[in-house]
Amino acid sequence: MALTLTCPVCGKRNGYEFRYGGEDKGPRPAEKGLTPRSWCDYVHMNKCVAGIQKEWWYHKDGCGSWFTTHRDTVRNLEVNEPEAPK
Amino acid sequence: MNRLNHLPTLRINPSEKRSLTYRGKSYWGFAGDTVATALFANGVRVFGRSLKYHRPRGLYSLDGECSNTCMQVDGIPNVRTENTPLKEGMRVKGQNVKGSAQFDWMGFMDKLDWLMPAGFYYRTMHKPAAVWPIAMKQVRKAAGLGTLSPDFEMKGLFDEIYPTADICVIGGGVAGMRAALAAAESGLRIILLEARPHLGGCFDYRVSPYNDDKKLYERARELADQVRQKDNIRVFTHTSMVGAYNNNLITAFQVGKEQDEFDERYIEIRAVSVVVATGCIERPLLFEHNEKPGVMQVGCAHRLAHTYGLLPGEQAVFSVGHDLGLEAAVDLFDLGLKIPCVADIRKDGQDPRLLMALVERRIPLLNGWVAAKVHGGKQVKKVTLTTVEGTVRRMIPCDLLVASAGLTPVNGPLTLAHAKLVYDSHTGYFLPTDLPEKMFAAGRMTGRNHPLSIEASGRLAGLQAAASYGVNNKTALAEAETALSGLPGPERGCKLVTAPVKGRKTFICFDEDTTVKNIKQAIDMGFDVPELIKRFTSAGTGPGQGGIPGHNLPLYVAQYTASTTPPKPTTVRPPLVPTFLATYAGTNHDMCKRTPVHDAQVKAGGIFRRIGVWQRARYFSGDFDCREDILNVRNNVGLLDASTLGKFRIHGPEALKALQRVYVSDMSKIKEGRIKYSAMCNDDGCVIDDGVVVKTGENDYYFTTSTGRACVTVEWIRYHTRFDGWDFHLVNLTDAMGVVNISGPNARKVLEKVADADVSNVAFPFAGYREFTVKGLIPVRAMRLGFVGELSYELHIPSSWMPAIWDILEEAGREFGIRNFGVEAQNVLRMEKGHIILGQESEQRTNLLDLGLGFLWDRTKNEAKTVGAVALRQAEADPGRLTLVGIQMEDNARAPKDGSIIVDDRVRGYVCTARKSFTTGEAVGMALVESQLSDIGARLDIFEDECNGRLLYARVVSMPFYDPEGQRMKI
Ligand SMILES: [Zn+2]
Repeated sequence: MALTLTCPVCGKRNGYEFRYGGEDKGPRPAEKGLTPRSWCDYVHMNKCVAGIQKEWWYHKDGCGSWFTTHRDTVRNLEVNEPEAPK
Repeated sequence: MNRLNHLPTLRINPSEKRSLTYRGKSYWGFAGDTVATALFANGVRVFGRSLKYHRPRGLYSLDGECSNTCMQVDGIPNVRTENTPLKEGMRVKGQNVKGSAQFDWMGFMDKLDWLMPAGFYYRTMHKPAAVWPIAMKQVRKAAGLGTLSPDFEMKGLFDEIYPTADICVIGGGVAGMRAALAAAESGLRIILLEARPHLGGCFDYRVSPYNDDKKLYERARELADQVRQKDNIRVFTHTSMVGAYNNNLITAFQVGKEQDEFDERYIEIRAVSVVVATGCIERPLLFEHNEKPGVMQVGCAHRLAHTYGLLPGEQAVFSVGHDLGLEAAVDLFDLGLKIPCVADIRKDGQDPRLLMALVERRIPLLNGWVAAKVHGGKQVKKVTLTTVEGTVRRMIPCDLLVASAGLTPVNGPLTLAHAKLVYDSHTGYFLPTDLPEKMFAAGRMTGRNHPLSIEASGRLAGLQAAASYGVNNKTALAEAETALSGLPGPERGCKLVTAPVKGRKTFICFDEDTTVKNIKQAIDMGFDVPELIKRFTSAGTGPGQGGIPGHNLPLYVAQYTASTTPPKPTTVRPPLVPTFLATYAGTNHDMCKRTPVHDAQVKAGGIFRRIGVWQRARYFSGDFDCREDILNVRNNVGLLDASTLGKFRIHGPEALKALQRVYVSDMSKIKEGRIKYSAMCNDDGCVIDDGVVVKTGENDYYFTTSTGRACVTVEWIRYHTRFDGWDFHLVNLTDAMGVVNISGPNARKVLEKVADADVSNVAFPFAGYREFTVKGLIPVRAMRLGFVGELSYELHIPSSWMPAIWDILEEAGREFGIRNFGVEAQNVLRMEKGHIILGQESEQRTNLLDLGLGFLWDRTKNEAKTVGAVALRQAEADPGRLTLVGIQMEDNARAPKDGSIIVDDRVRGYVCTARKSFTTGEAVGMALVESQLSDIGARLDIFEDECNGRLLYARVVSMPFYDPEGQRMKI
């Protein structure tokens, strides 16, 4: 509940206004050549980083934008730094 | 009891009386009193009995740090009466007493303490297990704080607000006020929280000189005036801060004043920077019978007199470890209190002016002495004083012992904010070593005592907070730093942990009746960490949230274990002060939507049910089987309000690409003037939505979703196209448009009377889409659907026109006997047709193929990357899935309840919807079963709720049950 997020359209807002959209895993892969395993990994497997993570958020009680931001999952704070290299 | 009505520091208004009842009698107090001070004024000294030993308890701190004065007020148990404002007509009862607080039949428990050593319950009550239920009943009877009637209903209004502040200052004493004023200079928005009903903190009741022409309380009120005059400082009094979270989110609870419209309210403050200036409470003095009525802390005695006009006793001995104690002795002596002697734990270091004042008043001062024991039954009669080494003893008669070991900072807010607290050997306090980002501490809690130091530290913290916000105030900041460094710093604090006693009746925690002896027992048993000793002995787990033992417990443990490492404080958690669950719950926020023709359906006798966010007419008579309504649709014509459907416009050059992404069908094949039914899946191929799409123009589409999906469809489509940057726009028209469904063989006869268009079967065939007007005025988007299996028109109309068109259709249909039908009738009608409702014929694992809707899926549009397509391709080969089938009961008398499970030796599926069909006379329904059971003719055993082992039986049959050729909807 202490989280705030910065919507690219509306600015910094209370975290209550947003819905989490998962880790940023890049665009949908092309269907050709997908194995059940690789598809399942794309949809369901997460890195669950303890640290800074790039992720999607939806401004549901606001402008209705999807955007990415960086959040420190340990402190549950939006940060300006990029993801830690893995 | 006569009040000291002349005192300028009073916070009561002696001209405004308030009555309360206690033990069958009426008492008077004044506006500004707390419940406890009003009772005290009427001679009440014993307020309640302790949890375990039923020891009498009285006024001790006035700030609610212990449960001593917890009573039942207006039916609510455990009300901390010492900080609950008195309101007219309050009904007060003692709690945890058999008889009365004064004469408690359970008082003998105090003699049985030897039976209950530390961890008594944990160690005794677990073997044999059968004893526990019996023992528990007896324990419950004897122990526990207050009773709550099972049918008790909490009255009152519990509000909540979510303000934003640039800077939040916690604590409205002089440090907090100076911080707020300093930060407000730069125009920032400040919120100032004060737990007591008025600003001023520990200056508020003190008459010692602040400077040559002002006393401390005058200075406090001067600052409070300055604060009130600042438009950018919002003050919340009687507001306890209860939680601090990262990002400087502060939560607090405000107690309503008599004139406030709320009883309590939750305040959640989003602050950029925070100043904590919560000051100190007193560290309780540990000696034998240290919590007997008649023992009170310095601030309690002092405030009783100066804030409430009540002299706390007649003859008082002081046993203190801080200059505030000497100041109170001098001051209360001047108000008429007899003081035979003041014992000061400290051997030196007192303020010489206070020493002189004691000499002038001939009050003997014993340096290096401390109270060892008080004597008396229910109240103090005598006190034994001793040297801190315990070498010499002296007994003195008195009715009041003002006792305090020293001060201890209220650093709960800092702990909650994850500041690390370390024992400081100079002050004897736990002080923060590293404050969180944009958080600053000020005032007495930093160890400063000099009034000017307290103020200067407040001003500095306010400026630091402003700077951390981003204000450029370097010059002011430098000046404030210089000013503070020129003033006295943190003072040496009294380190005495306990008087030289054995501690059998020395209470380290009042709420839980934990004695020093209990702590020793716990340590002797091997516990060495205060955090664990706290749990084992319950010390600090009562309503006072560690206010009494918080500081003494770690000090005592360190001393008794002769620890070489510094003491470590125990943790605190939100809420820092006890709070009503009602305040957390807040008021009932159940809000719902009504359709534009809600009132018309009420008039028609509609019985409404909450469905999702909507109120919908489910029935139109007391017959919940809806027989008449159903047959009327089958044989005549009915009217349904379907306004809750999700309705959307999507337009733009790449709108079609977005539709291709989320719908399983090939949406490029939508024909002008035709509706297309399709479904949306999630990435697992599970069906999440179905509805129709029409093309209303070039790159312009109108589509419906199920009621439950209306609120998430925009999010869904934008989510699944978020990487593509496509050029399209989505408009949610759900509330802007209403929907009327007119169904039945006579539907056309009604519609053609009012429509300005040819609605014949040729001009407007089944699955067609037309736009026309009604009565030359009302714009209508009409679709020919067959959800209920009859000739049917779904009319989409701007919401503002809905009541009008509803009236027009009812009027036009009157000659045919048109009547409303509700959601339940629709449910049966569509079930007879084998048409599904998502959520009813599906759950979250049900995919498109399970429902037999695989024909909707276009497998050729790989480029569209349709959501769900990959998973569907994989699921096609999976034999272990459920399949939707039609069922007919072997006994047609009755259908099973929805949700009944289908079993053999294990669960094989479940009944989705089943009803007795009035149309066919059979009990039929739909079920999701394992594919091995899905062949026509398979026998299903149905286990219904509470069937007592008597199963129902059904056969798998083909669907639909009604009009299998689908002729009737095409007429
Ligand atoms: Zn936004």
